[in-house]
Amino acid sequence: MNQKPGVCTFCGTGCGHFIGVENNRIARVYPSQNHPVSKGRLCVRGWNIHELLDTPDRIKKPLIRSDGPFVEASCDEAVGRLIDSLKKYPPESIGFLASPRSSNEEQYLLMKLARSVFGTNNICLDSESGHRASLNVLHAGTGMAGMLGSIEEIRGAEFILVAGIDITRQNPIIGSEIHMAARAGAMVVTMDSRRTQIARLSKKFLQVRPGANKLAVLALAKTIYEENLHDPSFLEAHTEGFEGFRRAFGKLSENELYEKTGLKADEIKTVARHLARAKSAMVFFSSGISGLDEDTIGYIYNLFLLAGKIGKEGCGVNPIAGLNNLQGGYDMGLAPDLLTGFQPLADAATAKKFEKEWGTALPSSPGKPIYRSLADQASELKALVVVDHDEGIVRYADAIKKLDFVAYIGAFKNPFAEYAHVVLPIATYVQEDATFTNAERRIQLSTKKIEPEDGLLPGWKLYSMIAAKAGRAWKYAKVSEVMDEIARLTPAYAGVTHAKLAGGFGLQWPVDDKNPGGTRRFDLAKAGRKLAFYGVSDVFEAPSADDRFPFLLMVGKAQHFWHQNNLMKKTHIPMREYNATLMDYPEGYVEICPQSAKEIGVRDRWPVRVVSPHGEMRVSARVSDDVSPNTAYAPYFVQEMISRFLLGHTEVLRQGEDATIPVRIEKV
Amino acid sequence: MTMFLIKKSDVGKIAEELARDHQVYGPMIEKGSGQTFFDRADDVSEISLSAPIPSNPPKSVVFPQMERVLAYEYDRPKNSVKIEPDYKVEPKALVGLRPCDLAGMLCLDRFFMGQEFVDEVYLAHRKKMFIVTNTCVAPFKQCFCVCTDSGPAASEGYDLNLTDLGDEFLVETGSEKGAVFAAGLGLAAADDSHLARKKKIVDKSISLFEDIAVDSKAWISRVMNRVTTGFVKEEVWEYIGDQCFECGACSFVCPSCSCFNIADVTNPECEGCADRLRSWDSCSYEGYSRMAGGHNPRKPVEDRRNKRFFCKLSYSQMKKYLRPGCVGCGRCAWVCPGDIGLPNVVTYVRREITR
Repeated sequence: MNQKPGVCTFCGTGCGHFIGVENNRIARVYPSQNHPVSKGRLCVRGWNIHELLDTPDRIKKPLIRSDGPFVEASCDEAVGRLIDSLKKYPPESIGFLASPRSSNEEQYLLMKLARSVFGTNNICLDSESGHRASLNVLHAGTGMAGMLGSIEEIRGAEFILVAGIDITRQNPIIGSEIHMAARAGAMVVTMDSRRTQIARLSKKFLQVRPGANKLAVLALAKTIYEENLHDPSFLEAHTEGFEGFRRAFGKLSENELYEKTGLKADEIKTVARHLARAKSAMVFFSSGISGLDEDTIGYIYNLFLLAGKIGKEGCGVNPIAGLNNLQGGYDMGLAPDLLTGFQPLADAATAKKFEKEWGTALPSSPGKPIYRSLADQASELKALVVVDHDEGIVRYADAIKKLDFVAYIGAFKNPFAEYAHVVLPIATYVQEDATFTNAERRIQLSTKKIEPEDGLLPGWKLYSMIAAKAGRAWKYAKVSEVMDEIARLTPAYAGVTHAKLAGGFGLQWPVDDKNPGGTRRFDLAKAGRKLAFYGVSDVFEAPSADDRFPFLLMVGKAQHFWHQNNLMKKTHIPMREYNATLMDYPEGYVEICPQSAKEIGVRDRWPVRVVSPHGEMRVSARVSDDVSPNTAYAPYFVQEMISRFLLGHTEVLRQGEDATIPVRIEKV
Repeated sequence: MTMFLIKKSDVGKIAEELARDHQVYGPMIEKGSGQTFFDRADDVSEISLSAPIPSNPPKSVVFPQMERVLAYEYDRPKNSVKIEPDYKVEPKALVGLRPCDLAGMLCLDRFFMGQEFVDEVYLAHRKKMFIVTNTCVAPFKQCFCVCTDSGPAASEGYDLNLTDLGDEFLVETGSEKGAVFAAGLGLAAADDSHLARKKKIVDKSISLFEDIAVDSKAWISRVMNRVTTGFVKEEVWEYIGDQCFECGACSFVCPSCSCFNIADVTNPECEGCADRLRSWDSCSYEGYSRMAGGHNPRKPVEDRRNKRFFCKLSYSQMKKYLRPGCVGCGRCAWVCPGDIGLPNVVTYVRREITR
């Protein structure tokens, strides 16, 4: 039999699959029936992963260039060039852009390389870095910097709120679990500005005005409080800081809330009552460009804390990771101010622990996020190392071109490599043992399935080689020893070894002496602390449309567009689906409702100009009932929007702020 | 046709004997997860006749998920092209095939070989094949082959059919090739009394199916009638379409789904070289029915969804061959994120009939 178990590495769901191998090539994929997360299901991406893993569109040889085109080089030569180039600059001028797709071991070693070898804290995740906002809220509130609930408990929840996430597209198998819960009788409520599939499958759909999610959540919390649906003894015994949250309730009148959210009083009240009365309740949301900002997430967390729906069976405040090892990326300390397991760099005892393990002093001042440096004309950044850039479009291309040195390390071809001076190939994740941590903190081991092509090193070996050549011998004999080191330094991973993960379906952190089998969900009884209401602002600047800019534009994902499809473009069927959309809408599209289309005087597929106070772009109109009048939706793959239009809206990009922009749409 | 008996302890000899001149495939249990796969056996002793219904249909043996069907090299200056067909012609033996899966393969045969043009790639896989089926002495939880005329015992298309009689297996031969092979094994002959025991076992098996399959054999056939005559309301299809996640899984796990896509993959290291790949496709995808120029006769998801059930329950097999395209294996219900496997769809359509 030739079926090797593994973990799907597209989104953060972490579905189980089997990979069929023939002649050291990946031939097929099949779902894993007994996997606790996916239970025999895969989505369109997962069903096509074998094509990606067998694509000829790989980086196979080290490349270097001086002024002219790339020339092939030996690995030694390319690594030497990388080290020489980086060593020319002071640490604050070097940056590392890490990939949320790399394994935990690779992410950890890149972090160690940046900090212990090149002495810089300028390291951060490349895509979906908005997940940090969710982790900040949950960590401050409960001490757990990850999903509080568990995917396995979704079917046991009586009430489920899906807030602003197109979950059947982004993480379809989690969407499926929510759908199954709804079919089994759970009260599923979707809060979104656009009628998504999960909205159609929900018992209630709260179609909020774009940018008004926070206000809608406030309205729910206010109802629970004012109707006395909460349990004061729970608040007293288990929480602190409610007063701060309560102050926000009086800021707006009920009528203002209804007007600004576009919702009706009875809609809000019914949902609030269902939430408060349910025995168990969960909420799903995502952070970042297509999700919510930190303050809105703070409101959601506070709402569920007020309702007493945290730390019990079937409960959970659940941020959803759109990428397979986004959660792992933060667990591995890929942030300018964090070490592994969300331990702050600023904490002296933690820094000392790392210095002892690594045998070197750590740079103490926190680094700067890379994209912020790229946006800053006065930035000191001169040299950048990029690993497996996930998106098909490169943002801040002009700033990247101006850098003195760029190195690209990756398994698959990507447009970012065009800006590099040194390109180093690495093996794919099926060519080495690797662990990944999914959205529900499940650390899973995916074992090696095929040998890497001649001369290709897995990431951990390449980073070890770079460290050795730069004068620091790391001495890992095998990749499992990297996890042993992570476990020594990271309390939540303390009990994790590759041997313990082998042959199973993974363990959810924290895995330690007290929880040797992992931790399914955050448990109030074991918390050993009071849960804190998150400090939220009581300023409500919902973007509003006016006569000049009458539409509110939202940005998000589309059926076959995940991160502009860098990976999906390497698979035939998803590529065809992608191309089908591009043939209909070659410049991408902006979705508007039939009434708006009529007013503007355009039909489906007609070109339009989208104008905001900061810029404009030309796209096609897509006419659909899924959006309300004066609302527009653009998927996050429109070349001109990402590479030009949105860059004028740095505030939106930085805050991951609902990405709502008032615009005018004109016929051209 | 002749009949024999083989001791339980000896039944493995069939696969061993076939392995001399065949690639042998059969049901095997993956140890780590306990999942059954119908896969190529490197070691034929791994084949388990008592394993649950395999999670994957044997379709991938004759119609792999992704397969290179030819390679070509175009020499532009000389304006010449070298084409190398890549047909897998090694003889294959399928041992322990479940009756539903055989029925599925017969559907594929009709599609790939029974029409005006014969598919050479499929034919290469399929010819010289030796098939040993295994009667289901008890149904599995999701099975409904009694409603689709495809089990629990195979009636045609096998070389040998095995039935577990308790202490021994009844070996029925279904072809000349099977009879010659069985005669060579030196087995004891079986008689009508063994056939009578088999019938009892099959009747018992039928009685063990889920109520819906036993009580009403018309469960599916009434819906077939309804679908074929076009009397299903739009709202029912919309209700079903709303729940489709467009993943394609139902097509991929279906023993009788035959749709494929062709793509030429160029080799970046060799100019003018390309591999022609054939891979599974699904009617649930929007691009599947999109035509050049952009017109799509089945653009909304509900139109694509109902296409699947028209295909399974009406036109692909029923109108041409008087049998359903569904073989009652229940795999689509296992893998569907939207919970709209064929049994549920049948239930929704029936709900409409009875209303």
